[in-house]
Amino acid sequence: MPKVYNWQIGREMEFPYEGVRPKRQFAMVMDTNKCIACQTCTVACKTTWTPGRGQEYMFWNNVETKPYGGYPLGWDVRILEKLGVRDMTGPVYEGKTIFEAAPDGEIALGYIPEDEDWAFPNVGEDECTGSMEQGALYTMPHMQWMFYLPRICNHCTYASCLGSCPRQSIYKRPEDGIVLLDQHRCRGYRECVKGCPFKKTHFNPITRVSEKCIGCYPAIENGRQTQCTITCIGKIRLQGFISKPDEAREDNPLDYLIFVSKVAKPLYPQFGLEGNVYYIPPIHVPPRYLTQMFGYGVEEAMETYRRATEDKKLLGALLLFGSTPEIIERYEVQNDTAIGYNKDGGELVRVPIREPIHVRAAYDEQYETHRTNIT
Amino acid sequence: MVNNTLPRCELVVYNDWWWTGSCEYSDIVYGVDSWMEFKQPDMTSSNTNPFLQIYPATPIRRAFNTVPDNETYLGVSKELAKITGDRRFEDLWKFIEERKIDVYLQRIIDHSATLKGYRFHYLEQLAREGIPALLNTRTYPRVNGYEQVHESKPWATRTGRLEFYRPEPEFIEAGENLPVHREPSDSTFHDPCVIVAAPHPALRPRQPGDWGFDPEDRAQHPRQMRNIMLSVDELLQSRHYILDQGYDHIFHTPKFRHGSHTTPIDTDYMMVLFGPFGDMYRRDKRMPGTGELYVDMHPEDARVLEINDGDYIWIDGDPAYLPFRGWNDPEKADAYKVARLMARARYYPGTPRGVTRMWFNGYMATPGSVKGHETREDGIAKNPETNYQAMFRYGGHQSLTRTWLKPTHQTATLVYRRLFTHVLGQGFAADVHCVTGAPREAMAKFEKAEHGGIGGVGLWRPVELGLRPTTESEAMKRYLAGEFVNV
Repeated sequence: MPKVYNWQIGREMEFPYEGVRPKRQFAMVMDTNKCIACQTCTVACKTTWTPGRGQEYMFWNNVETKPYGGYPLGWDVRILEKLGVRDMTGPVYEGKTIFEAAPDGEIALGYIPEDEDWAFPNVGEDECTGSMEQGALYTMPHMQWMFYLPRICNHCTYASCLGSCPRQSIYKRPEDGIVLLDQHRCRGYRECVKGCPFKKTHFNPITRVSEKCIGCYPAIENGRQTQCTITCIGKIRLQGFISKPDEAREDNPLDYLIFVSKVAKPLYPQFGLEGNVYYIPPIHVPPRYLTQMFGYGVEEAMETYRRATEDKKLLGALLLFGSTPEIIERYEVQNDTAIGYNKDGGELVRVPIREPIHVRAAYDEQYETHRTNIT
Repeated sequence: MVNNTLPRCELVVYNDWWWTGSCEYSDIVYGVDSWMEFKQPDMTSSNTNPFLQIYPATPIRRAFNTVPDNETYLGVSKELAKITGDRRFEDLWKFIEERKIDVYLQRIIDHSATLKGYRFHYLEQLAREGIPALLNTRTYPRVNGYEQVHESKPWATRTGRLEFYRPEPEFIEAGENLPVHREPSDSTFHDPCVIVAAPHPALRPRQPGDWGFDPEDRAQHPRQMRNIMLSVDELLQSRHYILDQGYDHIFHTPKFRHGSHTTPIDTDYMMVLFGPFGDMYRRDKRMPGTGELYVDMHPEDARVLEINDGDYIWIDGDPAYLPFRGWNDPEKADAYKVARLMARARYYPGTPRGVTRMWFNGYMATPGSVKGHETREDGIAKNPETNYQAMFRYGGHQSLTRTWLKPTHQTATLVYRRLFTHVLGQGFAADVHCVTGAPREAMAKFEKAEHGGIGGVGLWRPVELGLRPTTESEAMKRYLAGEFVNV
């Protein structure tokens, strides 16, 4: 197998294809500290892309409560168990990726979920670990905890679905890095379903071929962020493009969050896929669990996030989440205002770092009315 | 409500834009436009929101053959005018007849303190472009009490001060003239509804002896008039009388994030996400729809009752005071079958021992939905005549909760500021000083009804897979502890 460089594990690794990065790479950052699992993103995606026959069970976007939730059932527990216990003690991951741990004759370590595993898409909702003693006081990290993990396809740099497909039906678009599945080429062997550790490709039993999240590419091509991003009422998502690791730009809000402040971390980097959806870890959850999920450096990310008010560039990038439906290609912080620009340099949005308080005169001369706050 | 109140009404007329349980029990239902289908503009605001919400008239075509809701009022009023000969019924809605909704809305604006001077047509134009209208309040963001705190302006009370003593006789009578704690009306392990306070000369509530009823009478109405005062220690030593009859769990029904008020949560996409039991394919044909309501129980409580995670259970309230009166009357057996609550139990470690929870928003079973799942081949709890979709096979969260009408919520003396004015009002005001009618609490007894596995065989699948709280597999335990990595 060819060797490719995966920056998330800090080393070269095996992958079935040569490592050619796309011109631009679709990416997303989600702040798990802000998600309330309202499922607006899930329903927005569902009604946009998967309302048809054979798609009933599919949620290209789903939100699951961690640690007890999982769609399909127990997806991460199962692949972690297969991969075994691995060291996560430094920036270079020395353990095996799912490609390196593949059984003989196979591309990646994986499994096909049972049909029934796709039921109960919101299993575990709101469930916390253990029970709370009467009169107990929460300290950090919380003794009983849970958080919400919204998930889409990671549009991985080294996509395992792509690598696993025996017909090369899955491809990565050179213009934006979105991973697409050609349903005309696909024969429904489900090798992609087996190979994707995140279980984000779906077999359609009516069309007999597979399908997956398309990164809302018609929107992306027109400079707009995805449906799941722009409908998010909690403004937890920022979608745009991530630079190549050696070309990170401080004025790209995604690059700033991922490469500069390192506050956003990849999902299960040890799998070796270099996914392009990043998460700001929940700051109340025990670091060991989070290291298992988001890799090395989680504790530093949590600390940086806690101190975000001390870094205006970081705070500015965080405030641009959900501030505009359009893709922010560049940003800056000027006079305590975060300003987002599109690819032509046009201004998209201005967000004040601190919401100003306006105090109006008690009597409105123009409208001849008294102003009060209690009505 | 369904079995005690509605039979006393000659006629129930309802308008709604979604076929709800209320429609199921109405004689006449008018189908009206949803918010997205308004052909005439409308507006709304709430008393803590800094924005005015304008609904512009929309070019979106109607999904069904519906009418604007206000035209149903006009139509009924016209008929009442004909029957009574009193034209005022009709005249009240003249602006609807003439399609002058905008003029009417402008008048509301002209007479609202925070909107005076605004022009409706301009606001509607802004709304079409997605630009919201800010209320003309003193500050933005709206800081309630700003003028009172920063400028010593009077509060909207009788004295103009924040009042911590209520001198009105009704409050003295109720023992609520000073800030005191009242135990919950029902959902407590201790004596319900009692006043918890140290003795104080100002606290001299009227008690059973003064009213002339037995102090031990804790029926729903006397309970709220007993006004027995206990110290904290006395309270903690007391026991709710119903505990010894097996109704030993608190049952709460709070609101949920996946539905509120008018949200249609009975669509397949919403139901499947409404909690942990959703399955778009309904592999278990007992499911009322693609999802269903459930009660959260502490795992240890459920184990004592031999209830497994995901089992169907019966949930019963105090038989003496259940909202369903006459549950053991053979003539009411059919109605009681519809009303008795059955739902899945979920092991939920986030609730304290003895405290259970069921979300408030589930669409309850009706005679039609029960007929649906008992007769339809697919077993869906959908009324074959109306397509009403229930989220329970039997009952609903209100099968055992009831309204508590607290006396001090019903006084005619309390002073407040009238909504959207600078004028002080007194007595009843909707949303400000009135009874809270939402039933939210009861003491409950649980009993296993059916196994949780498909078709009532075995365990619910996630339990079998070892993915559930307190029944975790070895792999799940390692996962929870983060032990798949060495750090």
